[in-house]
Amino acid sequence: MNESKAKKKKLTFTKGEKIFLGILIIIYIIVGIFNLKSMEPLTGVGERWIVTLPFGEGLLSRINPMTVIMSWLIMLILIVLAYRAGKKFSLIPGKFQLFMESLLEFIYSTVEDSTSKKEFVRPIFIIAATLFLFVVVSNVISGFPGVQVVPTDSGIKISLFEDTWYTPTSDINTNATYSVMVLIISHAFAIKVKGFGKWLKGFFEPNPIMFPMNIIGEIAKPISHSLRLFGNIAGGGILVLILSYMAKYMFIPVVLWGFFGIFVGVIQALVYSMLAIAYISSQIEE
Amino acid sequence: MENIDMAKAIMEAAKYIGAGIAMGFGAIGPAIGEGNIGASAMEAMARQPEMGGTLITRMLLAMAVTESTGLYSLLVALILLFII
Repeated sequence: MNESKAKKKKLTFTKGEKIFLGILIIIYIIVGIFNLKSMEPLTGVGERWIVTLPFGEGLLSRINPMTVIMSWLIMLILIVLAYRAGKKFSLIPGKFQLFMESLLEFIYSTVEDSTSKKEFVRPIFIIAATLFLFVVVSNVISGFPGVQVVPTDSGIKISLFEDTWYTPTSDINTNATYSVMVLIISHAFAIKVKGFGKWLKGFFEPNPIMFPMNIIGEIAKPISHSLRLFGNIAGGGILVLILSYMAKYMFIPVVLWGFFGIFVGVIQALVYSMLAIAYISSQIEE
Repeated sequence: MENIDMAKAIMEAAKYIGAGIAMGFGAIGPAIGEGNIGASAMEAMARQPEMGGTLITRMLLAMAVTESTGLYSLLVALILLFII
């Protein structure tokens, strides 16, 4: 309750505090300039820690262990959140219950608006909400300092709280998996609604010459869907890493982490689930 | 300095030039698109100020979709700089 009072009060400084803050900023800038000279070169930008499995061959035997670990961690976070939200429902909701309810209701109303078939609202809502929750948690943790593993010339380097958390969405494999999943689900729903013959006929729509165009159009969907999220998260991460390396002891990185991690992350998660809804519901229209 | 590998030097230079060109030209399209979106949103907000909250959400969504072509070029530039 003290916080709400403090927020309303206008921020004022006495003369002594102003001098103290001024000296602090000057020391800060001088330390930053001196540190600029003694910087070791940045290694392992945009590289991934890849482990080759003893069995299998080619691309299929290479895995990215951090993606697997972080995916399971995020699933654990989501399970704990869901357990806490679902443990007790009261008629007069608390803060946490209200937050979860309004979040899911927003997605539900979006699905309801874009889908004309009533029986498909619930399945599409489940898919879109699952994707949104996973993507938003994994994007937002890229706004906080955490554990990152990068390969260097001499083995792997585990950096604790120097860089942001490794996010599974900055790996193209995760995004591509979900996008292909959305594509397959949309076509399965289309077959269920229209029947196999009518679905197949949809590819030869205005006339049979357009068949290759329709196929390319379908293949382009998951590519652009997955690359949009990957580009935002991975590109933002590399940009922040380079900028924070250039200005190591300045305030800039904190602001950038907030922008690229939280703001862009939430918007891109929203865009990802919106596009999933749009792709699925455009397929089941007759 | 006699035995410097000329091909390697040219490739190194071409990498940076290519990354710059990719990012510079790739940023033109999204910039124009986002400008159009912002202008239209401003017009709509001026006409109906009570719709402001909804319009800002939609505007940000549309901008995030428009941005993606610029991000593809950012990816290409980053791949040129760090991976190849």
